Amino acid sequence: MIIGIQIFGILFGLFMLYLTYLYQKKRQLTTREWGFWSVLWIFFIILSLIPSSLDFLVKDILQMGRTLDFLIVIGFMFLIGISFYNYSIVRRTEKRVEEIVRKLAIRNGR
Amino acid sequence: MSADSWVIIPAHNEAQNIGKVLDKVKKYTSKIVVVDDGSSDSTMDVALSRKVHVLRHIINLGKGATLKTGCDFALSKGAKSIIVLDADGQHDPKEIPSFQKKLSRADIVLGYRKMNDNMPWIFRFGNSFINWTTKLLFGINVKDTQCGFRAFTSLAYKRIRWNSTDYSMESEMIARIGKSKLKYLESPIETIYADTYKGTTVLDGIKIVFNMLIWRLRE
Repeated sequence: MIIGIQIFGILFGLFMLYLTYLYQKKRQLTTREWGFWSVLWIFFIILSLIPSSLDFLVKDILQMGRTLDFLIVIGFMFLIGISFYNYSIVRRTEKRVEEIVRKLAIRNGR
Repeated sequence: MSADSWVIIPAHNEAQNIGKVLDKVKKYTSKIVVVDDGSSDSTMDVALSRKVHVLRHIINLGKGATLKTGCDFALSKGAKSIIVLDADGQHDPKEIPSFQKKLSRADIVLGYRKMNDNMPWIFRFGNSFINWTTKLLFGINVKDTQCGFRAFTSLAYKRIRWNSTDYSMESEMIARIGKSKLKYLESPIETIYADTYKGTTVLDGIKIVFNMLIWRLRE
């Protein structure tokens, strides 16, 4: 039987899959990025549908009590990774903007 | 004042003060660069009306980036020494000859504000704490690490050229002086605090101390 939280997970995965498709349609994602995110959301939907599919990994290999604990740990790792990636992108962009603004100021100086 | 000396003034929304400051500075030199850091008022027009060099950042980058733009421009014009001071009227340009004189005996001259009742207590406390941290981390005993009135030779600038884009640049400069073993002198200045002070805040102070720790660890 499918419980409420599973329905919520499936709907969330479907919504994100649709959003990814829209971004690709607007050419804001390359085909490779679209493929990566689509596979990730499909994997998420499958996990929501059949949580026991992870039992082998979670209980036998990682020796964790619950699949939910595993997902929370993975979620945190993913968020920290994304935060670091965003931070590095922002820093690089800031540096580039600074260089451009300073060069323009010197070139157009009166 | 030496013919190869340039004065750099970073300005952000200082239309009210920049004209008066420039009129005073022009008594000592004609080689003046105002760098307008993305002001939304008429700072640039006021500066242009005083017939000085004016550079403009199309967006606000911060004091560190603004000063670097001005110094790079002055160097490209053949500056041998550079004097930097604030646009808000806090620094009296009458001190320029004194800085210039001392610069003949050192690589860098650092202004220091007298810690009297003119300075709000929070700044006195913050400055003392940052000065103490600087001494502890970099072994440099400077009376006022946050004073923006400074002079340096072009050779010294190449060695202390900072990366900070904000108010941390004052401290980064000191850290680089220590690292490069440059000779520095200090010069007392009178400080005028206007009611609408826009400089370093308490949060900036915390950020400066944090950045100093990072620079020390990187060495």
